[in-house]
Amino acid sequence: MTALRLGATPVRGGLAVVAGLLVLAGLAGLGLASAGLSTHLPAELWLQAALAPDDADVRQLLVHYSLLPRLATALLAGAALGLSGAVLQRVLANPLASPTTLGIEAGARLALAVATLWWPGLLGLGREAVALAGGGAAVAVVLLLSLRAGLKPVAVLLAGLLVALYAGSAAAALTLLNEQWLVSLFIWGGGSLAQQDWSVAGALGPRLALAGAAAALLARPLALLGLGEDTARGLGVPVAAVRLAALALAVALATSVVSLVGVVAFVGLVAPALAGLLGARGVGARLLAAPAVGAVLLAVTDLVVQRLSGAYGELLPTGAVTAVFGAPVLLAFLLRRGLPAEPAGDGRGLAAAAAGRPWWTVAVLAVALAGLAALALLAGPDAHGWRISLGEGLADLLPWRWPRTLAAASAGAMLAAAGVVLQRLTGNPMAGPEMVGVGAGAAGGMIFAFLVLADAGRLATLAAASAGALLALVVVVALAGRGRLPPDRMLLVGVALGALADAVVAVLMAGGDPKAMALFAWSTGSTYRVDAPAALATALVAGLLLAAAPVGGRWLAILPLGGDPARALGVPLVAARLLLLVLSALLTAAATLVVGPLSFVGLMGPHLARGLGLVRPGAELAGAVVIGAAVMVAADWLGRTVVFPFEIPAGLAATLIGGPWLVLLLARRRR
Amino acid sequence: MTRPPILPAAAPAMTRRRFAALGLAGLAGASLVARGSAALAGMAVEEHDAQAAAPRIASLDWALAETLVALGHPPVAVPDKRGYGEWVVEPALPAATADLGSRFTPNIELLAALAPDLVVAIPYQGPLLPVVERVAPVLTLSIYESDGRPFERACAVAQRLAEAAGDPEAAATLVARTEAAFAAGRTRLAGRAPRPVLVASLVDPHHAWVYGANSLFTVAIERLGLANAWHGETNAWGFSAIGIEGLAEADPGARLVLLEPVPADVAARLETNPLWRRLPFVRGGEPVIRLPVVVFGGLPSAIRFSDLLSARLAEAPA
Repeated sequence: MTALRLGATPVRGGLAVVAGLLVLAGLAGLGLASAGLSTHLPAELWLQAALAPDDADVRQLLVHYSLLPRLATALLAGAALGLSGAVLQRVLANPLASPTTLGIEAGARLALAVATLWWPGLLGLGREAVALAGGGAAVAVVLLLSLRAGLKPVAVLLAGLLVALYAGSAAAALTLLNEQWLVSLFIWGGGSLAQQDWSVAGALGPRLALAGAAAALLARPLALLGLGEDTARGLGVPVAAVRLAALALAVALATSVVSLVGVVAFVGLVAPALAGLLGARGVGARLLAAPAVGAVLLAVTDLVVQRLSGAYGELLPTGAVTAVFGAPVLLAFLLRRGLPAEPAGDGRGLAAAAAGRPWWTVAVLAVALAGLAALALLAGPDAHGWRISLGEGLADLLPWRWPRTLAAASAGAMLAAAGVVLQRLTGNPMAGPEMVGVGAGAAGGMIFAFLVLADAGRLATLAAASAGALLALVVVVALAGRGRLPPDRMLLVGVALGALADAVVAVLMAGGDPKAMALFAWSTGSTYRVDAPAALATALVAGLLLAAAPVGGRWLAILPLGGDPARALGVPLVAARLLLLVLSALLTAAATLVVGPLSFVGLMGPHLARGLGLVRPGAELAGAVVIGAAVMVAADWLGRTVVFPFEIPAGLAATLIGGPWLVLLLARRRR
Repeated sequence: MTRPPILPAAAPAMTRRRFAALGLAGLAGASLVARGSAALAGMAVEEHDAQAAAPRIASLDWALAETLVALGHPPVAVPDKRGYGEWVVEPALPAATADLGSRFTPNIELLAALAPDLVVAIPYQGPLLPVVERVAPVLTLSIYESDGRPFERACAVAQRLAEAAGDPEAAATLVARTEAAFAAGRTRLAGRAPRPVLVASLVDPHHAWVYGANSLFTVAIERLGLANAWHGETNAWGFSAIGIEGLAEADPGARLVLLEPVPADVAARLETNPLWRRLPFVRGGEPVIRLPVVVFGGLPSAIRFSDLLSARLAEAPA
């Protein structure tokens, strides 16, 4: 109890600061809002417009049915997300937990997209119920994935961002098959706050009030939980029930916002963090200050977005804009402060029973890969249905099929190798090349090439993607080299970069420009544009890099034990980490150019290999490489045959296949 | 190679390479039919039916595809054929036209099996060209640019397509048909108060695209003797993406035209949208005109838009 009382004094002082700053921000917002209002309507008509607008006066109608409800919606949604984030951060004891970083928003969005396209009947039960189910499922998966790591903040975050990325790419695959409705899905995914009545604000208001009351009830037990689970239990707190109730509250708040407004990313992360920076440290203060900060934050952002939106004749979805600003805030937090220091991982997650004759297993895997490749080359549908092509028919098809198959195999192999290296480097079974930031860098470069260069040829695209990958690599390596980041924190940096790239794409897409749509389709990782020289070059790069990997075999065996044991065993820690990081980044960059920034093959390959008993570094590497190649070949083949004549890009197909598999794998091996 | 039944039985078995040469000759404006066929069999082909040797064109874009259909030389393949039937509707594609799937990744094995002489595409598909050019030469044509001359460019596109199809006179006929449609519409609307027209498509319950400068719809509206009620900034494709509240900024005397298809849930939600119901051009109870016309179309879409719009406006009480 003493600790609590001690903690109370600075909170009060802090609250005054928070209140003061909030008032200032609120005043700024008020200024913006009234500036916006006065361009529409003279001040003497404001009251009439707000209360009882004259139906004949369009200006008053706009104020009453659009500007004011939009402001109210922004305030309420911001407050709801702020509260949700504050509750999540408290209950998970994780300063970077939020609806965005736990995949709640992305899960809700995917559930709504699936329902809209395939089971519109489900929406009859209420969009909120569907969104809640999606968001709840996302959190459940995240917690399941990170349970083995004892729900450590970094592990939860990695799992959360992975689930968010997975749900995001699954939604992307859906939109690619429904091109005509792409735009509406993106506007909504981007969280546009445009309103034409008070219904959304009217729905959010009571929910927020209820949630606020629930949060007030939970504040004290949550504060006691902060003293440690045992202490709290000793004080009579029903620990599990409180945790569950708090989680349910946070998820319900966030998914309500998604179903009513769309995805407004990162507000739930930034608002509680800002509240903390401003001095709200205790539970009660944080639960009060975070919604206030969130409300002001989103309202001010939206007012600025409205100003910009009009200027370009394009739609700027506010939620995507908050993501563009929010992702760098996450990065800043990761680099400066926010997370307690943790050991880099003890490698327990990598443990598995060793197989008796690992190289036989690898040989069997190689035969399976050959079989899959043959299938990919010989079998496929044409205008008349499925057929196995041989002889002359095959000669016509091979020039199209072999470069794609070879490139897919090479990319899968490289990603899996990068996964082995990264998982051993960090001692973290959730590490994967999707998370070094290099993929995001390459995708960013491609986006730049398509948008800025009028006629982005193959070479220009390749150059831009490589430059982007290199830039990301330099940033990550510079950070790592200065020893400022433990390896698993670095993975988070990569994921944050990925989220940033996604946000930029979402902003571009909502405008509806067909060129942006095409860009989106290609950036998801299709082997469509791979020709013979590109395939051979990819295979060559893969061969060279893979030949380099076994050289670090001893390091790969020792590093999972953690930094200190490794140093004791004579591993030059900084140099070894740096070299392995560069190797994995190069592997990832080369693969990204072919299959896009996200595939999960790099995560999956090593896990499957270890599951087969390939535990020594050399055997694991060989097994993972073969498995990675096989999965990607299968993904490419299925992607171009199952929805023929349409195609699902190989990277997306691999994600769709691999994601659930990975979850099953990780859940089953949990002890 | 197994040829799909789309090929006319009489089609001579040519190598893909020679067909490609044919397409290039057409692009250069040379007498395509005569030269290509003569190179083929060495027989007196000049008198031959031009149709038999007419180059087979695949289109990677709907606007180019509908223009080809209207020119009397329908494409052998288009992307998302089912979508074409829902969104473009008219002019309909022949049953023989193959479906290439996504316009972002037109199925290349299918395209190669069809062995077209020429593929036509629009500029944003540029990054696909290195792949598609392995099948046939590609002609890139553009209607929508930011210079506000979509009609001139649609006519030029029709001309280039007609030349590529080996039937250069067809373009003039199509342009004349378009002008005739505009004139007929104008006659139909003679004597009526020339109210401005606001053309929009609904992308979700809260957002719309409104068409203004750079849109072919604006040209058609003006050629009908009317004015477009949307004066806001538009992009190169001729539309602004706005929240539905933005419609209130349009000319209040306008007739509202919604492009079909309107998603069912959006239509239902509109009924309860108070701002929508109070928009000047909805409030009066005048039925909103719904037209199934594709956006980003070519001359045939302009004809269709002009015909349907003038007919619907003429039905309404003056």
